[in-house]
Amino acid sequence: MTEEFDDKLDRAARQLATEIAPERDLWPDIATAITQPRRSRWTPMFAQAAALVLLVGASSAITYVSVKNDSQPVVSIEPELVFEQTSFGANYNLGPGFQDARNSLRAELDVELMRLSPEARTNIQENLDLIHTAISDINVVLEKEPENVLLQQMLLRAYREELTLLSRVGGLTRNLTMRNDI
Amino acid sequence: MEALLTVAGSDYSRGMANADTNIAVDEQAWILKAQRADARAFEVLYRLHVDKIYGLCLRMTGNVSEAEDCTQEAFIQAWNKMAKFRGDSAFATWLHRIAVNAVLGRIRKSKREQDRIQAVSDVQPARVVTGDTGELRDLAAAVDRLPERARHVFVLNAVYGYSHEEAAGMLGIAAGTSKAQLHRARRLLMQQLEEQGFTA
Repeated sequence: MTEEFDDKLDRAARQLATEIAPERDLWPDIATAITQPRRSRWTPMFAQAAALVLLVGASSAITYVSVKNDSQPVVSIEPELVFEQTSFGANYNLGPGFQDARNSLRAELDVELMRLSPEARTNIQENLDLIHTAISDINVVLEKEPENVLLQQMLLRAYREELTLLSRVGGLTRNLTMRNDI
Repeated sequence: MEALLTVAGSDYSRGMANADTNIAVDEQAWILKAQRADARAFEVLYRLHVDKIYGLCLRMTGNVSEAEDCTQEAFIQAWNKMAKFRGDSAFATWLHRIAVNAVLGRIRKSKREQDRIQAVSDVQPARVVTGDTGELRDLAAAVDRLPERARHVFVLNAVYGYSHEEAAGMLGIAAGTSKAQLHRARRLLMQQLEEQGFTA
């Protein structure tokens, strides 16, 4: 009974129309879509943020070299670190490990900066400012495109750069590994 | 544009009136032009294949509006991917794969399937025009009521004749899953259709 039904069902299924004309002409909408220039997701602000992240990376490396060779005791400064609150959309979250490491490094920063020369401190402050500008700019674009994965990755990279810079200043890299949980 | 369409249509009609070989040759010529970003050539390909693609989308979604959207999405994607078409498979098969992806992508974006079914039942016209008559119309309606996965497998395998391996490849599932879903579809269809006198 079942096999007979299946046979009849298969025969009937093969008779169902496979070519069906749409009730309206779908071409005009398609023509509009394929002839319009595609909107680039690489907006000027997006590009600016990306350039900032790259700049931060290069600048951090220079700072590292500078800090590494600097051991002069100097007067303390009061760095004004303003950390951006941000949302990473649905794809990323800042892990608790990242937050802990960041808080710890921030607490150490004052002490560590006192050991550096004014030139090195200025260099570090400029780099931190660059990173915070990048984070701020990316956040502005992220508000408009909260699900943009590339932007989220750029923001994460900026935070990683900040973490790397802080850890280099404190000479704490031995206690840190690259965070994969953020 | 209208005149150009007429010319293109005439070429296409002449190809249809001749042999399959001529159609294939004509199609190949249009494909090459479309790959060079010739939108008019792509329109010819659209008109050549739209009934096949819309039919597939309509069978898979069971809804006119969604089928129209999926058809348009499939052709837009096809346009964007034209350069990647190398002729390893028939152009129609290549389009079918893109259309199946368009349907699956649309479903992924939609809310829960139950919501979709409810929404569809609210807005769907009483009768979808498919050209099916009599028992075939009952069968088509029963297929539309199948659960999503079972419906997709049944449409690709039983209606369009794709093997389990081919259907599984299109749907991103295992061939064994395709077989299981076909079995499930048949049992559900039997339950529905026997009540309407569709018996062996």
